[in-house]
Amino acid sequence: MRVDVQGLTVRYGDVTAIDDMSFSLSGNKIYGLLGRNGSGKTSLMSVLAGYRRAIGSVQLDGEPVFENAAAMRKVCLVRHPADAADKSDKVSHVLEYGAAWRDTWDNAYALELSELFKIGLKSKVGELSLGQRSAVGAVIGLASRSPLTMLDESHLGMDTPTRYAFYDALLNDFMAHPRTIIVSTHLIEELSSLLEEVVIIDSGRLVLQEEADVLRSRGTEVVGNAADVDEFTEGLTVLSEKSLGRTKSAMVFGQLDDSGLVRARQLGLELGPIALQDLFVHLTEPVGGKR
Amino acid sequence: MKIFRHLTVALVSYGGIVGASVFLAVLAVEFGISLFGDVVFSGWMLVTVQIARWFVLWVGVYTIHNVLPIAIAHGRTRREFLGAATGFTVVFALAMTLLAWLGFLVEDGLYSLMDWRSTPHGSPLAYFLMFLVWCAVGMLVTAAFDRWGYGGVFTLPVGLALAVVPGITMPGTGDTPFVRNMPHLLGDGWHAVSLGAWVVAMAVTWAIARDLPVRLRTS
Repeated sequence: MRVDVQGLTVRYGDVTAIDDMSFSLSGNKIYGLLGRNGSGKTSLMSVLAGYRRAIGSVQLDGEPVFENAAAMRKVCLVRHPADAADKSDKVSHVLEYGAAWRDTWDNAYALELSELFKIGLKSKVGELSLGQRSAVGAVIGLASRSPLTMLDESHLGMDTPTRYAFYDALLNDFMAHPRTIIVSTHLIEELSSLLEEVVIIDSGRLVLQEEADVLRSRGTEVVGNAADVDEFTEGLTVLSEKSLGRTKSAMVFGQLDDSGLVRARQLGLELGPIALQDLFVHLTEPVGGKR
Repeated sequence: MKIFRHLTVALVSYGGIVGASVFLAVLAVEFGISLFGDVVFSGWMLVTVQIARWFVLWVGVYTIHNVLPIAIAHGRTRREFLGAATGFTVVFALAMTLLAWLGFLVEDGLYSLMDWRSTPHGSPLAYFLMFLVWCAVGMLVTAAFDRWGYGGVFTLPVGLALAVVPGITMPGTGDTPFVRNMPHLLGDGWHAVSLGAWVVAMAVTWAIARDLPVRLRTS
């Protein structure tokens, strides 16, 4: 499902959560929506799901989403804790809601996931632990099989084995049923191998949208003699520097051309990829007063 | 239709279970009273008028506050939900009226058998309209609080005014001092005023809830 956002603004009283944002997602990929706390991720996804009216245009496959039954049917947003469940409902009732109200719902898969995450169907949602409630959200999101599925911090409270089981389930289901999945997370490295494209927002504005592999290749860690590193990085966008004795490490944003690679070899510098999470941290952190 | 079916099945059956349980409790209390003195009023009338309408109002609150966000989260529009909820108020009010009336049938028979003295109760139509309006008022006020937070308090006088309308001619609710003569002048025509109160309550609910945001719930 294609997503087009144009001039989107979301305000809560005096606070502007999303500020004139525009971007497009071509669809049928797993997108990572990355941003710091309060950057506007949940507000953005809420508007994409028709949870609230906003200023600007949000279109899914060319159709506006807010109060559009045809478009709303194709969207599933699971925020944490899950909106699609009442605390007093038993988990089995939550799945019944999905089966009754969603045309694309796969109940067999929902039951399979519930077993995988060890969620008791007779348990009430409000009595579950934080991690189990998150797992219920993950079940709702994945079993909905919605053409646009959005998972907002759906891993919160999950222990490590459950998180890994969730990532595996997410990837396997995406491979079997390709669709547009947007995942917002702070555990970027854990999920980075799943992400095909990354959208980074900060302070309600789009910072960057790029293929994950391209983004990774745009950052390089340069390690070597401090003087050589300084010489090499002169004129480049240096995200951060660390020194230990005479050795220095610098994170450089931007692709190195062939001459740069040759020069690095001549200076005896070590070049390596930098983690998506590190790039994210630096892209959303003011550097020298500028971002 | 799916939303309507869900609301009806879930809440009518819930209301039926609650109503039946309360009825049995009322009978037990009446028998208890009869051990110490004469029974001179209908306990079921007291419950159906003074307590049942608050239960019905709560159902209206629950419908908007709890079920509407879930419906949106499952890809339904507010418009679809409000259409279903409007129909639901009618079915739920009918079901509660039927329950009340069945209770009166049993209680009247029992009172006659035991030679207890009962009190007059309203007509099925009066009960239906009272439940209809109170359910709608619950939805209206909840929609306002959910949309504007504490600002919803400004809709309370509207809700109160609408809720008073169907009860004015209902035995057991007490007369209001300001419009005492009007219901008598209108006779059964007052029911049309009650129906109008429901129409207004639902119309205002639609107007408020059509843009209702689904807020993040914290627990």
